[in-house]
Amino acid sequence: MPQLKQLVVESPDAVGREVYERIAADVLQDLDLVKVVEHLYIYADPGVPIFIAAGVLRHMPRAIRVGDFANVNIGEKMIVLDIADETYLAPLLQRLWARYGKESVDQPDRFTVVLPLGVAGEEELEQMVIADPSETLYKDVIYALQYIAPEGFKVRRQYIKGGKFYYVASEDTLPGDIVETAVEPIFERMGVTL
Amino acid sequence: MTTLVPVTYKGGVYRHDEVMDLIDDLGGYVVQKHVMAQDVVLQSFVPRDDIELIRGVAKPLGGEVIEAPLVGTEIAVVSPSLEIHHLPHPACDIAEYLRRAGAKTNMIGLARGFGKRIANLNDEERDIINEHDLAVYALGNFEECIGEKLPALRRGIHVPIVLTGAPERETLIRITDPPVEGYVGGVGRIMHRFKRPEELAKLDELVEEVSRTLDARRDDLARDPLSIFPPRLMTILEEQIYEVTMLTHPTPVTVQMEGLRVKLPYDLYADELRPLEVAEGIALGDIVDILPSRMRNYILIRIKPFSETGILV
Repeated sequence: MPQLKQLVVESPDAVGREVYERIAADVLQDLDLVKVVEHLYIYADPGVPIFIAAGVLRHMPRAIRVGDFANVNIGEKMIVLDIADETYLAPLLQRLWARYGKESVDQPDRFTVVLPLGVAGEEELEQMVIADPSETLYKDVIYALQYIAPEGFKVRRQYIKGGKFYYVASEDTLPGDIVETAVEPIFERMGVTL
Repeated sequence: MTTLVPVTYKGGVYRHDEVMDLIDDLGGYVVQKHVMAQDVVLQSFVPRDDIELIRGVAKPLGGEVIEAPLVGTEIAVVSPSLEIHHLPHPACDIAEYLRRAGAKTNMIGLARGFGKRIANLNDEERDIINEHDLAVYALGNFEECIGEKLPALRRGIHVPIVLTGAPERETLIRITDPPVEGYVGGVGRIMHRFKRPEELAKLDELVEEVSRTLDARRDDLARDPLSIFPPRLMTILEEQIYEVTMLTHPTPVTVQMEGLRVKLPYDLYADELRPLEVAEGIALGDIVDILPSRMRNYILIRIKPFSETGILV
């Protein structure tokens, strides 16, 4: 079997196939999932009717720590966090407030957070986990597939675990063995077992 | 008799009232006025021979006059649902593009228009679509789905339909039986804005298809003219019914090809409208049907043809 590209769409309807390729690419791009999804295989057949999407996720994004977006400077009188990227500033403040109390956390300007000396060591602060993007990633992937699938296909079965995912949808009741008969062969083509 | 042609005037707010007065003096009608910050767009009907005159007056003001084939029409853009699958693209892009050609468009998201087997149209949707001059059906990507669901979605619709979908125009023609009035292929469910040249060309094709379909209807109307020209009736209503000027709708009186939608409550105003004198000795009730609209509590006025009333205002 040939190696699958990142995005493959198959359908008996040639025009529909082309459009769905574009839709899938647009949706992945809109939801910022291009880098996350390694393979995505889609089979859509309105005749059956069935819509199958299966794929593999690339490495999961790692947890964001303070050291990733701020410099920790231990001064003589206080600890100064110099924020380089504001994206995670709000969750950072939440964590600091929860751990050290609001009275100990001062923010003199947008890009500076000040803590009293001695509450934590440099290493400890730098390694503090602020956010985990993978928490919402699963939801995003399933949402993307729901978005790509034809709207009328309301009956669905979805799975996402350990970097592998599938989404089967139809307008009619899905046969009980649909995963074994239709989804597993696709994963075999990708060189992975479900 | 002078022929009125639909045009759009685009210019600045400064001294645009002079252009409006000029159109009025020439015997034309402004059916819709949009003020957007510094800009003004007037959708109007003007005498064909006077377009150059208006251009001349507009020139020092930086205004331009463009022919807009769809002025004075109300078009329904029908989308299978209001979910993210079908909105905002392409339904909004289609509606917006038709607006640029002068049409007043309404978007209708069906409650259950999706799915090939389960698609259907309820009576409210059917009646509202039938209140328009034309319906553009923005359907999806698969030939089989369009072929199977279209009969359900067009049941009871008697206004002309222009069908759009991803399959080629020839395919759309092949799968619709009985045929609809217009087809535009290559415009299916997409997830991005229409911005590439070939996509915009499709929208131009759609405008052309819609105007062609409406022109056929206009030809019929020319053979048996309406008792009163809708924009003229609009002007009369605006002059005589004080409350119309108090409405905050963008188009308090919407002009259609064969009627008007007046955005006043039917229960309170219908009886007041019927005896209204539109010309000497002619009551409004003699030349039109005043009906309750299915759209909110508005009034729908359908103008009767000359052959029925024997009156031409």
